[in-house]
Amino acid sequence: MTLKQPPRFAVLQLSGCAGCEVSLLNASEWIDQFDLAFMPLVTSAYDVPEVDVLLISGGVRSDEDLHNLRQAVKRAKKIVAVGTCAISGGVANLGNRDEVRRLFMSQTERHDLPRLLPKSQPVDSFVEVDLFLPGCPPTPELFMGALLGPEDFVASKTVCQECGRKKLKDMKPAHLTGSRGGEVDPEICLINQGYLCVGSSTRGGCRALCTRPGHPCVGCRGPSDLLIEKDSQAWLESIQRVFAAMTDIPAEEIHEALLSPQLSLFLFQFSDYAGTGQPPRPKEKVL
Amino acid sequence: MTTLTFPLSRIEGHARVEIEVREGQVISTRFQAMEKRGFNLMVQGVPAEQMPVIVPRICGVCSTAHHVAAVKALEDAYGVEPPPLANQIRELLLLGQLIQNQATSLFVFTMPDRLGVQSIFHITDEEADTAAQFNIAKRALMVRQLGTDLITLAGGQFIHPVKAVVGGVSGGIDAEKADAFRKRLRAALPVACELVDYYWEISLHMKDRIGTWGDDQPAYYISSTERDNPRYNSSIIRVMTPAGECCREFTADAFRKELIFEETDYSYAGRTSYQGGVIRANSLARANMTRRMGIRRADAYMRRLRSEFGHPAHPILLFDLCRGIELVYAIELASQLLEDDYSHNEVDIPYTPRDGEGWGLVEAPRGPLIHHYVIEKGNIAMGEFIIPTVHNMLAIERALRVAAERYIHDDQVNLELEQAVGRVVRAFDPCIACATH
Ligand code: SF4
Ligand code: SF4
Repeated sequence: MTLKQPPRFAVLQLSGCAGCEVSLLNASEWIDQFDLAFMPLVTSAYDVPEVDVLLISGGVRSDEDLHNLRQAVKRAKKIVAVGTCAISGGVANLGNRDEVRRLFMSQTERHDLPRLLPKSQPVDSFVEVDLFLPGCPPTPELFMGALLGPEDFVASKTVCQECGRKKLKDMKPAHLTGSRGGEVDPEICLINQGYLCVGSSTRGGCRALCTRPGHPCVGCRGPSDLLIEKDSQAWLESIQRVFAAMTDIPAEEIHEALLSPQLSLFLFQFSDYAGTGQPPRPKEKVL
Repeated sequence: MTTLTFPLSRIEGHARVEIEVREGQVISTRFQAMEKRGFNLMVQGVPAEQMPVIVPRICGVCSTAHHVAAVKALEDAYGVEPPPLANQIRELLLLGQLIQNQATSLFVFTMPDRLGVQSIFHITDEEADTAAQFNIAKRALMVRQLGTDLITLAGGQFIHPVKAVVGGVSGGIDAEKADAFRKRLRAALPVACELVDYYWEISLHMKDRIGTWGDDQPAYYISSTERDNPRYNSSIIRVMTPAGECCREFTADAFRKELIFEETDYSYAGRTSYQGGVIRANSLARANMTRRMGIRRADAYMRRLRSEFGHPAHPILLFDLCRGIELVYAIELASQLLEDDYSHNEVDIPYTPRDGEGWGLVEAPRGPLIHHYVIEKGNIAMGEFIIPTVHNMLAIERALRVAAERYIHDDQVNLELEQAVGRVVRAFDPCIACATH
């Protein structure tokens, strides 16, 4: 009798914060169901072996990242880009702004160390990706979904639908609350309370992790299926519509706030916004 | 001249060690950070009030420390003093970080060195020859998950927390949830102790295998926990002399006056020294510089450490044992703190943002972490991050030299060197994402 071998997977960490890996370590269910063949954070192995699934976290920031990426994908049957960094560069996009890029290029040169590329880039700028798993980081549950097969993962379309806060018709703030909100009401929609929450257009699956305890969603899971194949303008308009319906906050105020850096996690997941010139990712490929 | 290169795994981030040898003599040992994150550049022009959400992304392992340090730096700039309850919730957040980090370092990063395996995920139940090894990966992950769950409870999100805000925290902790979690901590404490005991025992076996404990020479120590009891939501940095006297106390803004910081041309991370001497930060520094843990189980371990190794203790592999003490401490203390009520509303005070300069300090798992911001027109004009790993750079390289000299003779390199390099570096638990922020 031959025992069925558990599927083998590897985790390639490019330039990121390791938060994605830390999240994966919170999903201990995989220990019984999968064979972890390579993940430098936790195993001493220096080359990616042949695997069924390769999870890639972090953006492509240096020539070494690019080399490791190209080598690794040859050995894997299925490629999953995990985390906002791998999908869009994530927070590293703050370093892609021209004035900051100049600083990077002039200050970071070391003899004999990996060289930085001119910009941080998503993984699919260079290699074919089979599945995108957005989130900063994706939750352990989402990791298990990606490993076990996205077909079986059940989630609402948007964070809003997973959040469960009550939307009130008669509570219309006149201005954004900003970060000086004071106490947050635990039952009522954050938009009613004047917070710039983008959960209404963000894809579900995180179970409204941030909004439930009272923090507005910054959209780390990226655009919902309704928006993902469109461009960043469509997203901006959709948020504007939500705020126009639910609040009396002037459109300009919303517009300005939407372009703020902490939402860059979200906005840069549109390739038109990030300026990578790639076609939008098809929704079938995004968990 | 020959250069030996050792890539490193089971540490946070991308790094390697280079050892230069000429005619059997060790010329240099270098610890190289191979990646560049550059948050000091990336945060240029970012609205200051968004820093607490952005900077945790410096590092997913130490995210909580960055989150709290950012809030404290802004409070310093705005002249805000958070209410006591908020400070207590922040301490809980930092304890969560400590549990998660120390459990990861002990069981995921360094335990495999003790057991001679690739990773703890590569011990099958058939191979687990003692009861202590049985199911070790699952027990270890269960313990470290307590840390993440405590961060979620006190901080909102599980990796990149959101609940510390300028003026306090954005909400209390629901009493029922706190109680349920406290029960989990209580139930897990014996499991953690068992793992730590086992870790302690197998570490002592290694004494013979490495011959000595590695770099056992005295060094300066730096920490910001309090003198009598540990406190991670800290306010004063202290330096201890190699002889064990507390020689210097200063606040975060005096950092540049007290320590010498320099860049190197072979690594993306810089390094610091104190009056030309090697400094050590992290768990051993705290154990040397804190009188007692102030809670039962952790103090029993502390007494054991002191009676076996004296005070101040210098062998580098004690860093690992001290992490074990802190792991027990954090679980024990968090379960005690959660007996209090955090569900009421006085968790933040109003404030008015203003331009200026601010410094935020916390004791991160790896040592004192400082965020320093200059704010102009509400935006970050200058962001500086002083990372604990950077304080340990010279200490790491000195310890590597001890290892190299031990295993390199004439033109022979003992193959044990590769293992030793890994053990030495992991003792300091460096974090490369942070160090190159
Ligand atoms: S996506 Fe977020 S958690 Fe993952 S590596 Fe990037 S910053 Fe870290
Ligand atoms: S609530 Fe929004 S920001 Fe938070 S994890 Fe979910 S998608 Fe990300």
